[in-house]
Amino acid sequence: METTIHVEQLNKSYNEIPAVCNLNLQIKRGEVFGLLGANGAGKSTAIECILGTKTADSGRISVLGLNPKSHRKQLFERVGVQFQSTNYPDKIRVGELCEETMSLYKTFNDYHGLLEQFGLADKEKAFISELSGGQKQRLFIVVALISNPEVVFLDELTTGLDPKARRDVWRCLDKLKSDGLTILLSSHFMDEVEVLCDRIGILKRGELIFCGTIQEAINTSPYEKLEDAYLWFTDEEENEDEGL
Amino acid sequence: MKAYKAMLKTEFQLSLRGIDMFIFAICMPIVVTILLGSMFRNKPAFEGASYTFFEQSFGAISTIAICAGGVMGLPLVISDYRNRKILKRLQVTPSSPTLILAVQVSIYTIYSIASLLLVYATAKIFFHYEMAGSLLYFTGSYLLVMLSMFSIGMMVGGIARDIKSASVIASLLYFPMLLFSGATLPYEVMPSSLQKVADLLPLTQGIKLIKASALGLPINDVVLPIILMILLSIICIGISIRFFKWE
Repeated sequence: METTIHVEQLNKSYNEIPAVCNLNLQIKRGEVFGLLGANGAGKSTAIECILGTKTADSGRISVLGLNPKSHRKQLFERVGVQFQSTNYPDKIRVGELCEETMSLYKTFNDYHGLLEQFGLADKEKAFISELSGGQKQRLFIVVALISNPEVVFLDELTTGLDPKARRDVWRCLDKLKSDGLTILLSSHFMDEVEVLCDRIGILKRGELIFCGTIQEAINTSPYEKLEDAYLWFTDEEENEDEGL
Repeated sequence: MKAYKAMLKTEFQLSLRGIDMFIFAICMPIVVTILLGSMFRNKPAFEGASYTFFEQSFGAISTIAICAGGVMGLPLVISDYRNRKILKRLQVTPSSPTLILAVQVSIYTIYSIASLLLVYATAKIFFHYEMAGSLLYFTGSYLLVMLSMFSIGMMVGGIARDIKSASVIASLLYFPMLLFSGATLPYEVMPSSLQKVADLLPLTQGIKLIKASALGLPINDVVLPIILMILLSIICIGISIRFFKWE
């Protein structure tokens, strides 16, 4: 199968403190890949290096066969991105943000259809600031999809949402998955990852300490649940450190 | 071009919803025009002057909107959009963050020109104002002052650490210039000690230039302000390009 996101020996440090070390990733077309790890484990840094909004110290990156730095314009016609937290102006309406986003692309999806699909059809005239947390996140998925992308990057999409809202967002993502979209998401919720991801990668202090399917993660650990396995993976080294 | 137009439309609507630019760039200059017009309409600028005090003030009033947009509006919107990661978000689209900067500069240019036309219309309709100077020179000096003020704003917005420091710096530049550069309180009524301080403000120099061109005074008298405005623009634009923080 075709590789959509290819990362080789990616390194990035801030003031000589390593944030991502020797990261290797291969994400195939149509795959949903979850990047897991505690806050500060390097998830966002890794995603931003892959997108080219941060410059990696070393390593090779390609998305859809393109270099995100040198082929930025070409690449981002075909990629949708949602960064962590708000990135829209104050006092903007849902429809206005969609229009503005649409104008940036040569080819695009009709946003009315997307709003409908994500249960936001009646919110077109609403101010984004008036939406609930779950509605906002669903809107951000819509915005990431306006370009009719082949790959989407979603950074901690459900952080801060209540359980019901999270499930609504999952349902949306599940739909995208069945449409064959390649998705790279970061999260620290195991239940979410279990529902959505084909494969996961666990980051700890910038290092990828596990990469494989959820079943493989569980099998490698002495536990039967992903959450336990995840904690086992992320704690393992700490125990070793103590042993030293 | 499609993206520029769509964004200009939306961003302008957002700016109008913010209301402060409407008050400080559109309403305030008209109010000052009416005040100065009703107080000094027929009073000569000084004994034996060939023009009135009000005619002399016209050029100054026309810069209020430039000052509001360039020194207050631009830095705030730039640092706000950086803080909200809107600039970064544009980096992951086929467009780029410079698009939204161009749109914002266009918006404040529109405010300034709209304000100039409204101030002129108010002065003409109510106080029979006629511009004695050449329209070409006036336009040229107006654009130069706009360039220099906007370049200050671009620099402040571009290098300020966060929105809080941007707003502190913007206030430190905006309020002294609004009050003491002659834009509202006429330079000519200030005591000479205050005038010396006022001369240090970039907008004071800009206003000297605009006044001279509106009154049709000889260009030789304002060579210094012209040089200062050009230098200021070059320095601020240079710093903005070199040190602009995209995130």
